[in-house]
Parts: sequence; structure tokens; C-alpha cells
Amino acid sequence: MIEWSETHASIRDSIRKFCETEVKPKIHAIEHEGVPPYEVLRKLIATFGIADMARMRFAGQIEKEKARLARAAAEGSTPDAERERAPRKPSPEAGMEMAMRMIPVIELSRYSPGIVTALGVSMGLTANAIMARGTIAQKERWALSLMTLETIGAWAITEPGSGSDAFGAMKSVAKRDGDGYVLSGSKTFITNGPYADTIVFICKLDEGNEPKLRKVLSFVLDKGMPGLTQSKPLQKLGLHGSPTGELFLDDVRVGKDRLLGETEEQPARAATKETFTAERTAVAAMALGLVEECQRLSIDYAKTREQFGKKIGEFQLIQLKLAKMEVARMNIQNLVFRQIEMAGEGRSMSLAEASACKLYCAQAAMEVCNETVQLFGGNGYMAEYRVEQLFRDARVLQIYGGTDEIQISQIARSLLETG
Amino acid sequence: MKILVPLKRVSDPDNANKVKVTGGKLDASGLEWKPNPFDEYAVEAALRLTENGTNTKARVGEVVVVTFGPKEAETTLRAALATGADKAIRIDALDDALDGDVVARALKALVDKEKPDLVLLGKQAVDGDSNQVGQLLAEYLGWPQATFAASIKSNADKALIVSREVDGGALNLKLTLPAVVSVDLRIVAPKSVTSIHTPATHTYPDGVRFAALMAIMAAKKKPMTEVKLADLVTDAATKIKYTGFELPPSRKAGIKVKTVAELVEKLKNEAKAL
Repeated sequence: MIEWSETHASIRDSIRKFCETEVKPKIHAIEHEGVPPYEVLRKLIATFGIADMARMRFAGQIEKEKARLARAAAEGSTPDAERERAPRKPSPEAGMEMAMRMIPVIELSRYSPGIVTALGVSMGLTANAIMARGTIAQKERWALSLMTLETIGAWAITEPGSGSDAFGAMKSVAKRDGDGYVLSGSKTFITNGPYADTIVFICKLDEGNEPKLRKVLSFVLDKGMPGLTQSKPLQKLGLHGSPTGELFLDDVRVGKDRLLGETEEQPARAATKETFTAERTAVAAMALGLVEECQRLSIDYAKTREQFGKKIGEFQLIQLKLAKMEVARMNIQNLVFRQIEMAGEGRSMSLAEASACKLYCAQAAMEVCNETVQLFGGNGYMAEYRVEQLFRDARVLQIYGGTDEIQISQIARSLLETG
Repeated sequence: MKILVPLKRVSDPDNANKVKVTGGKLDASGLEWKPNPFDEYAVEAALRLTENGTNTKARVGEVVVVTFGPKEAETTLRAALATGADKAIRIDALDDALDGDVVARALKALVDKEKPDLVLLGKQAVDGDSNQVGQLLAEYLGWPQATFAASIKSNADKALIVSREVDGGALNLKLTLPAVVSVDLRIVAPKSVTSIHTPATHTYPDGVRFAALMAIMAAKKKPMTEVKLADLVTDAATKIKYTGFELPPSRKAGIKVKTVAELVEKLKNEAKAL
């Protein structure tokens, strides 16, 4: 794939028009007045029939899974082995589906990477975690309404004492209690935390053994459960479109029906890594939206702003900035295209490849945003010109979904192990 | 009801400053194209007339969109198909070789073939602002016409009551179908289009509808045919001859005045506005 197809472009134009007419007028309230982004996101979902598509996809997946379970029962094999995912076949539809996920992310990121994050964590991360490992009953109970954005989801792994070392230093625990469990611990930096209806809570099973050897389990919690407290939104450098909060669990009693997969024997660590891969690949689309918007604003400004009696675009130092932005834009766009192409071939990136992609895109986007502020000079520092918001928002790309440093170590480890 | 909607793509009106004139001719290179907004309103009105607003997926009529343009203009047609139009026709022609009269004559020939009950179109295209095609077409067809429609009431799909805003009130015309109607911007207000197919209690969102993502993809499979201009008109000569184009002179820089007295003095003696 070397350029967007006509269908891609139609989708882009349509989403772009929605952003102009529906998102742009609400950006000030969302970015500066603490208004949550969910109303405008729900309108997006309804307008483009995304909820209907999710319902269809959900019904298809559940039907397949039921057939798989029935087949396993007939053959007397364990359904667990059957659940191993068969290699996907190449299909243009899968590529199109990936493009349809990427294009709204790119277009929304021009205005607010924050609302993209809120959307992605709810419809993507949280719903996917339940869809990947939940039982059919759990999927029907929680995942479908997340996929249609009727409910808001949060995926809780980070803790005050455990960020990059997510599993090693994890203190949240589950203790067996009769048929169920008692959960305690605290989580922080949780996207959608303040407003989430459904929370996937990741913790360790305390069987009196050494913390290092404990199993990692995921539970699904509902807003308002006794013992669960969701904090108010935290103040942040940027990404104000995405409400971030803390969660406190004080002996929250749950039944086994809330244990994801309803079994303690599950590869939670491996599955969580799959989630990381998905999270990292989405950063490329966000970076592309940011860079395209910065470049567009920069070109306009370079052609209109005059200093020393000429347009600043005539100065070579400004030209250098524009040229570097173009290089970044081309590279990031190619990485987005690569993901669409891979999806169409039934492949997805390895964790190391997704890490390399995320590392580059995050750094390039940050550099472009930084240069854009510089190109705008004093105006770039003023909220009126929007680029200051994009600059503040881009910074998180180098931190969330694994810091640059974690990406580097994962790339290097993969090279040294297989190279 | 079958409705024919002529639809024109125009250079993005928000980027009018990118229009260039080279050697006395308009230079369209590098321009971004958008559907003429008034034509988009016509498509929206046509869809509302041919559906039940509470279940827009079930069509109760047919909307055929038609444009004059090169192959690339099919993008504009496909966008209309994505929002719900049923069929598209592209008449292969270049803007330079057209005027309102040729377009109206070609559309007449197309109407004779397609036999719609109604031709619904924007009151004018925002590039040339000619505002001629609807009126000429009605004359060539010998059909009744109503222009600048702000609301349309379909009377059992046999007749229309078309309302136009005029100074001090509204002008209501009753037309027996078939007819030609051109629309103004208020036609996309929530209650502007009414028919027997949609319950009177239904309220549309203000403005033109967005296409669902699935509909954008499905639009590729809807029928799109190409017709040669020569198959519709034997005489393609235009009545309007363009003798030249030039950009409007750029505005001179303004001046600052210190006092109201000075302002009045300048308005009176220099600008001669008082």
C-alpha cells in the first residue's frame, strides 16, 4: 500500500467533516473546562454506524466460539486447546477493518489525542481484554456494551509503585474467600478511571507464596461495587481530553463470575503482552494525526507570517523544519500503511516490532510538535494557536503504553535473543 | 417516487485563495474538490422524500444522482451513493466545455430516458453562481418549477407544496408532478421535508447526513454508469463564451485614524462614502 484508496479517502473525508462540525466546537470545553469526552464520542459511534458494526462483529465471534466449544465437546477434547487461535487467512476485509480503525484515530488526533485515548482504552483495550479471555457469559455481560460505547471501560494495571515493572512490583492482590475472592490494592494513571462503568482489574493471587511466583489474574468490576472507589480526574500536563484517575480497592468481594475466563489457570502475562502490542500499534495512527496537523498549521503559518519584510517560509531555518516534518510524516504514514497491509495478510506485529514502531512514532511526533511550537514562536506558546495543546498532548506518547526506555529494552532483547 | 438529483463538484470554497488564473484561463490544478453544498442539500432532501425517517435503511423510492465531469468526479457521486442514493450517472464532460444551457439540454435528454417524477437540485453552484440550470431545464421539459425551496411537503407523491422565503414571509407554490425544484439551505432543517412515508412526529438532525462507514464501503457496489455528452446532445455549443478570467485586485492596506473627526473627514473627502 503506497497511498490511501478512494474508499479510505471517502471515510477520511467523512470523519474529517464530523470533526469539523461536531468535535471542533466542543474541544475548548473538553480540553480546558473538564467536560468528559464521552458525549461527542458516542455521537461519533452513532453517526458512522460503528456500534452496529461492533454488534455484528460480536455476534459473529460469539457464534464461532459456541461452534468451537460444541465441536470440542463432541470430540471429547478440552475446549482450552481448541481456543488456541488458528492462523488467520489473508483477507482484504481484515485490512479494511484495520484501516477503518486507524482513520478515525488519525483524524481525531488532529484535534485531541486525549479523546482518542479515552475511546481506545474503552472500546479497544478493555473490551479486547474481555473478548480475548472472558467466557461467553462474561463477554455478553460486559464486552458488547463496551464495544458500542454504551458503557465506558478502564483497564487497570499501573500502580503507584509499579509502572514499567508492571508485574514485578505489583501489590494489588486477590485472596481466595469461599467460592470467590477478596480484592485489595490501588491503581493509578487509569484512563477513564473516574467515569468507568466496567473495570478490568489486574492483580496477583496471594496464596501465601512469594510475590514473584504468584499467578496474575484479571477481574471485571462494576462502578459502585462496595469497597471500590474511583477518584476524581487527576491534573495532567496534557491529554486533558482523557480523564485519568486512581482506583482504590478496599476488600472488594467478588464471585468467580468476575474472574476473567473463570479459571485461575490462564496465561494472563502473555495475554497482557498482546494488549501491549495492540496499544503500541495504535500510537502510530495518533502520531500521524498529530504530525499531519502540525505540518498543515506550520505550512499555513510559514506562508502568512511575515518578519524582516518577508514570509517566514522564505527563511531556510524554517524550511528545514518543514522538510523534517515531511520526512517524519512519510515514515509514520508508511508504518501505518504497514499495519494495514499486515492485517490484510492475516499477520500482526510482534511485540518487538510494535515497540520499534511505537518508539519511532512517539519520538518523531514529539519532535514535530516541538518544532511546530518553535516555528510559531510566541504564538506557539499561546493556547489560542492550538499547537501548544498538540505539543503537550504528544509528550505522553513517549510515556504511556510503555516508556521509550522500555521499548528500547524490548527491541534490544529481541535482537539479542534471535539475531 | 423517483428523483433525479444533478450534483456538481466545485473547488473547495474555503480555499478560494488557491484559485489561479494562467494566461486568462482558470487553472484548476491543485484544487481540492467538494460537492456543491446546495446540491448536497438536494440529495438530503431527495433521500428524505424517498424513505421513512424512522428507518432510513428501507428505501421507499429511488434517488439517481448525476454529474458532469471527468472520471475523478465519480468520487462526488460515490459520496452521494454512500449517504443513500441508489444509482449514479456520470456524464463525461469537462467544465470548460459546459454552460448552464448545455447542462440543461443534456439533463433534459437524460430525464427523457430516466423518467423521474422530480428533478431536485441546488439553487446554484458556488463556483460560477450561475443559477440557471433548474430554470432552463424546467422550460425545456415543459414542467412546472419552484426555485429556492426552503421546505417541501409531498402530497402522497403526486404533488408538492414548495415554500420559498421571500421578503416579509413565505411564498407557497403547489406543483403537480413531474416537476423541477431547486433548493436553498433551509431545506435541511429538521422539519423541512415531509411526506406520507415518515411520521409527522419525526425530527431529522439539522443538516446533511453522514454516511455510515459500512455504507461508504457498500457504495462501491452500487450502480455507476457513464454516458457521453454527445449521446445526450447533438449540439454541444455553449451560449456563454468566456472571454477571459482575472483575479480580483488584492485589497490595499488600511490606515489608522486617530480621532473620530479624522475618520469622518476621510470618509467624506477621500472615500466619498458620506
